[in-house]
Amino acid sequence: MNNLKLNETPIRTSRNFNINNMKLENIKIPDTINKFNNIAITGNSSLISNNTSNIKLTYGIEEELINQIKEHSNIELKINCFEHEQMQVDFNFDENNPTLLENIEIIANESSKSTIILKYKSQDDLEYWHNGLIRVNAKKNSEINIILVNLLNMKSNNFMSIENNIEENAKIKYTIIDFGGKNSITNYYSNIIGEDSDNTINTIYLGKENQLFDLNYIGELRGKKSNIDIEVQGALTDKAKKHFKGTIDFKKGCKKATGNENEACMLLSDTAKSLALPMLLCSEEEVEGNHSSSAGKIGEKELFYIMSRGFELKEAMKLMVRAKFNKILENIDNEELKEEIIYEIDKRLD
Amino acid sequence: MGKTNIDEINRNIYDIKNKDEYEFKIKKGLTTDIIKEISIQKNDPKWMRDFRLKALEVYNKLELPTWGPNLSELNMEEIATYVRPKTKLNNSWEDVPEDIKSTFDKLGIPEAEKTSLAGVGAQYDSEVVYHSMKEELIKQGVIYTDMETAVKEYPDIVQKHFMKCVPIYDHKFVALHGAVWSGGSFVYVPKGVKVDIPLQSYFRLNSPESGQFEHTLIIVDEGASLHFIEGCSAPKYNKVNLHAGCVELYVKDNAYLRYSTIENWSKNMLNLNTKKAIVGKNAKMEWVSGSFGSKISMLYPMSILNGEGSKTEFTGISFAGKGQNLDNGFKVIHNAKNTSSLVNAKSISKNGGKCTYRSLVRIEENAKNSKSSVSCESLMLDDISISDTIPVNDIKTDEVEFSHEAKIGKISDKAIFYLMSRGLSEEDAKAMIVRGFAYPISKELPIEYAVEMNNLINLELDGAIG
Repeated sequence: MNNLKLNETPIRTSRNFNINNMKLENIKIPDTINKFNNIAITGNSSLISNNTSNIKLTYGIEEELINQIKEHSNIELKINCFEHEQMQVDFNFDENNPTLLENIEIIANESSKSTIILKYKSQDDLEYWHNGLIRVNAKKNSEINIILVNLLNMKSNNFMSIENNIEENAKIKYTIIDFGGKNSITNYYSNIIGEDSDNTINTIYLGKENQLFDLNYIGELRGKKSNIDIEVQGALTDKAKKHFKGTIDFKKGCKKATGNENEACMLLSDTAKSLALPMLLCSEEEVEGNHSSSAGKIGEKELFYIMSRGFELKEAMKLMVRAKFNKILENIDNEELKEEIIYEIDKRLD
Repeated sequence: MGKTNIDEINRNIYDIKNKDEYEFKIKKGLTTDIIKEISIQKNDPKWMRDFRLKALEVYNKLELPTWGPNLSELNMEEIATYVRPKTKLNNSWEDVPEDIKSTFDKLGIPEAEKTSLAGVGAQYDSEVVYHSMKEELIKQGVIYTDMETAVKEYPDIVQKHFMKCVPIYDHKFVALHGAVWSGGSFVYVPKGVKVDIPLQSYFRLNSPESGQFEHTLIIVDEGASLHFIEGCSAPKYNKVNLHAGCVELYVKDNAYLRYSTIENWSKNMLNLNTKKAIVGKNAKMEWVSGSFGSKISMLYPMSILNGEGSKTEFTGISFAGKGQNLDNGFKVIHNAKNTSSLVNAKSISKNGGKCTYRSLVRIEENAKNSKSSVSCESLMLDDISISDTIPVNDIKTDEVEFSHEAKIGKISDKAIFYLMSRGLSEEDAKAMIVRGFAYPISKELPIEYAVEMNNLINLELDGAIG
């Protein structure tokens, strides 16, 4: 059994605030790593190879977990996007595939425009282990749209480290659907270095029972006129807990850069907990940074209105949650996947 | 547009240095013997001596903060923690020695006392040298005195409240304060008494390589009200001075307290101050804070909303110039039903100064139907300064309305252009915009202090923009 200290914030604050890092106790890190076979790839598989580059991270979720990937990864995917690529990779956890340590490297080559969907799903209620790493390099004038869907069960552990490098006039857009895992911990870092480079992150999370979400998003703006937009919408019920740490860091030289961060948490029970640290760090004059954060229960008037139309309370709440999430779900073009996510929202709120 | 920067701003009246004359100055450092000596010098009762020694023990056990500004230049071996000026406590300015009186004259304290205050306390180095209050408040049972007198004359009430709101275990510099505290004010406003005109304590540190550790204890009893103003300044020396004061405020049921501070310590000062209020049922605590001085400041006033329906507001501004690292903010704990908090924080960074807004809003499980709204805005006046916003929002129940918003940016070119088209110079246009930015805070201050704050802004801006 291991005690892990994960997701350190880039700037520390008072220890009493319990947000500088996330401590997980008595975590069993699997030591036997077998091959992960239950994987389905749709799209042009000739773009994929397994010669990923050496792993050197600026942040990363935690040293021991990163080392686990370095030493024992059971999936290595290097995806080279050249033109307008569409690809989906489904990782399906089951009794024979209980542990996934994937090392994914995505290269969005110059002027390419691609969408990559990565879906993680468990078919049953066994305890699974997912510890993944995604590195993306968006080259000049490229656009890449990455959709991450975590539909694991609530007994599993889900760890994800993401690092992006965004060159001149390149765009990386993430849509992250984070529903699964007893513990779901994400470390996200973007080096927004190119002039006019752009990074958008849209996340929805949904927590119930004793689920714990710890999201540590860091965007460092270095390029002139670069931009980052972070939008996080979540709902928590039962005794679920969420820690959101969002840092927009305007580094010296990023003149005329902009950064916006909006985090909203719907509390659906009086025992759910929302902890947020939306940081703005600024070492440059000509920039514009905004963040907003809110938490509270679903509007009673809206609930009353929906219920007056004949819906039960639970159904009305589901509708409200879906309505809040809808703006982000609209980013997903794949209708089948969108339906699957909506089905999961309904199922998880039952 | 070129910028003309000057290294040192003439802080005129604030930088007036008197000769380092004193009746007694404790030797530098922090040992059990030094604490015992301070206790003897102050003629402490036994409980206070024991308390100081306990606090020293806690100080030695606690670590420096692992976050915030770098405090490595603080060396307690180089700081004298107790300096008794060459005068006793007086209740007439005529009895205060000329050089000390002249300093307070220039700071405008006796004049303000005549025109706009109901009582004044003036501390010079480690001891209060002047204390006075209007007769009618004495008749109403209001107590406003120095802390030493309070320890001796009101032992029960002091012992019941002293460092109970801010326990010595809170952090290392509170423990230090507990060990070496000296001076400060004690205020008690009896039930139902409304003190309409403010009381003010002014703290002046003159002695180099020393510290000021005043303790302010205010109890506003049920249904009473008070506006208390705290001012502080010091001339600049080459080596660091330390300020580790402590403010404990008890706002009882249905009471009201406004605590206003204009902090203008010299730029060799480490200001590691602690302020906390416990707010009772349907009571209201308001903080108004202007932070201009200090080399390093770590100051996060805190309201604990323990009573149902209690409210708090924080309105504050920090202005960091060259060599300054002002790490300020606000903390609030909602610990009862129907509580509310409203925060409006602003900061200005220029000439390489660093402003950090660091805060906590915690809404506990029992604080149903509570509301909190936080707004913070930062203005960057050049590209060599730094401005950070580090707010923690900890929401533990669902029936709440919580919102937080923050903005960072520069002065809008359009606004400057507009004002210049109306005939203002670029410097005046920028200064006007900065004063407008600070207006929500200055309007909360009594007029004399709003004027002082505007003067400070002008002083800080002088030569920094253009």
